Amino acid sequence: MTAPPPEASLDGLRRLRLPLSREDALSLRAGDMVVLDGEIVITAGLPTHQRLLEASRGERPLPLDLEGAALFHLGSYSRETAEGGFELLYMNPTTSTRFNALMPPLIRHFGLRAVGGKGGLDAACAEAMREAGCVYFAFVGGGAPLLSDAIRELVSVHWNDLVSHYRLVKLKVEGLGPVTVGIDARGNSLYADLAGAARARLPAILAGLAAAREAAK
Amino acid sequence: MPITYERMKEATARLYEWSLRKVPDDTLEALRRARAAESNPVAQRTLGILLRSAEMAETQDRLVCSDSGVPTYSIGIGTAARLEGDIRRAITDGFQELVATTTPPLLKHVTNPLTNERSHSGKDMPLVTWDVIDGAAYLDITCQPKALGSGRWAALEIFTFPTLEQIEAYVMDCVLKAGSQHCPPVHIGVGIGGTFEHCARLAAKATLRPYGTRNPEPVLAAMEERLLKAVNATGFGPMGTGGDTTALGVHIEYAAGHGFTPVAVAFNCWINRRTRARLHEDGTLERIE
Repeated sequence: MTAPPPEASLDGLRRLRLPLSREDALSLRAGDMVVLDGEIVITAGLPTHQRLLEASRGERPLPLDLEGAALFHLGSYSRETAEGGFELLYMNPTTSTRFNALMPPLIRHFGLRAVGGKGGLDAACAEAMREAGCVYFAFVGGGAPLLSDAIRELVSVHWNDLVSHYRLVKLKVEGLGPVTVGIDARGNSLYADLAGAARARLPAILAGLAAAREAAK
Repeated sequence: MPITYERMKEATARLYEWSLRKVPDDTLEALRRARAAESNPVAQRTLGILLRSAEMAETQDRLVCSDSGVPTYSIGIGTAARLEGDIRRAITDGFQELVATTTPPLLKHVTNPLTNERSHSGKDMPLVTWDVIDGAAYLDITCQPKALGSGRWAALEIFTFPTLEQIEAYVMDCVLKAGSQHCPPVHIGVGIGGTFEHCARLAAKATLRPYGTRNPEPVLAAMEERLLKAVNATGFGPMGTGGDTTALGVHIEYAAGHGFTPVAVAFNCWINRRTRARLHEDGTLERIE
């Protein structure tokens, strides 16, 4: 086996303990690369988010404490063991923007300190995050082997009437990452900045295409 | 000896398993080149993480991504190949056998669109498209499990007598709409012409072409080159957190049509999942990709 590329190593990156303190959350800047240790709660399910929303309104019991938690859009395979417990076989991020409409009330109600997944969240989410002092961590999609190796302990699995990746799973991780701060707690969003920059560049890009077409004639 | 139900069933399962563990060599090479060329340090590091994930999956026999996708196969039937038994059923059964036995188990991604219930089977599963290869004595099978993250950004619009400028502007619209969300650096496939359904297939076919190849039609070869530059000038970068590498390739396929000209745009995520093999009459499965 060849040596891992240096970029995949965790050396030299800031380690953060989860759940994040408010100070740690506020100290991060969009674009920072960091590594995560501690407790996280994960799910990749839309129905799960709807249940969380219902729980936040007192319409159903909340199966675990989410106050100030790190809630990530990571799907996982939780398998029942012979002893009646669960084991987690792998985990990986899903696209967070699918949950745009449901995230602001969840971020505000639970005072989430960290959210994450891949692909980012919209402006309304970024505003809720700014109010709550919450950051968004971008995980690499297709990073299942690396991310799953950071799992240290499966704490609990909830709503297991749902398909595996929709369940609400609490676990302890060590060395999860590297992850990139996609949206910081001051409302700065790499995603909004990049989309804005791309839109601003589009006329020049189209002019470049026209020039290349002309040159190819 | 004809190609049998049993061999086809096995081939269906093997191709799927491979595709979840092995990032194609041309894609690894393109990712390495992109990493060397990146001017953005976060992007460079992100590309390194993707390469590490690919390496771990391959050498440790693990899944690159938890989204094992919806099963799609394209099959070229050699006109000289003899078939025996229910080849279509073999594909359905082969996928069922795979999900029942493979390690680690696969998440339930097959979705009933009427109820959003998810399982491992459903109407028309796996999705198969068929073609004919004159003279060949084998089945040419390509497996391309399609994940949600990239699958959802495909788009098609029908123009009338479009200029190249309109076609290229539409591709850029689709690229801006997908933005950071389709697990870049992506493989972009563009279909031009034919009919609605033919054009969509052309775009999907274009995403199967290895990086570094060019369409033999000079107009399209030039378009592929300038669109790749244009896409990478957007700056979305690896995993959409900024950088010079939003796409590793833009490939275009076309067909003649009427004056109504569909343009279809499809995306593969960075993993660029595809495996391809020939199933011969003697039962051997010759892996090509």
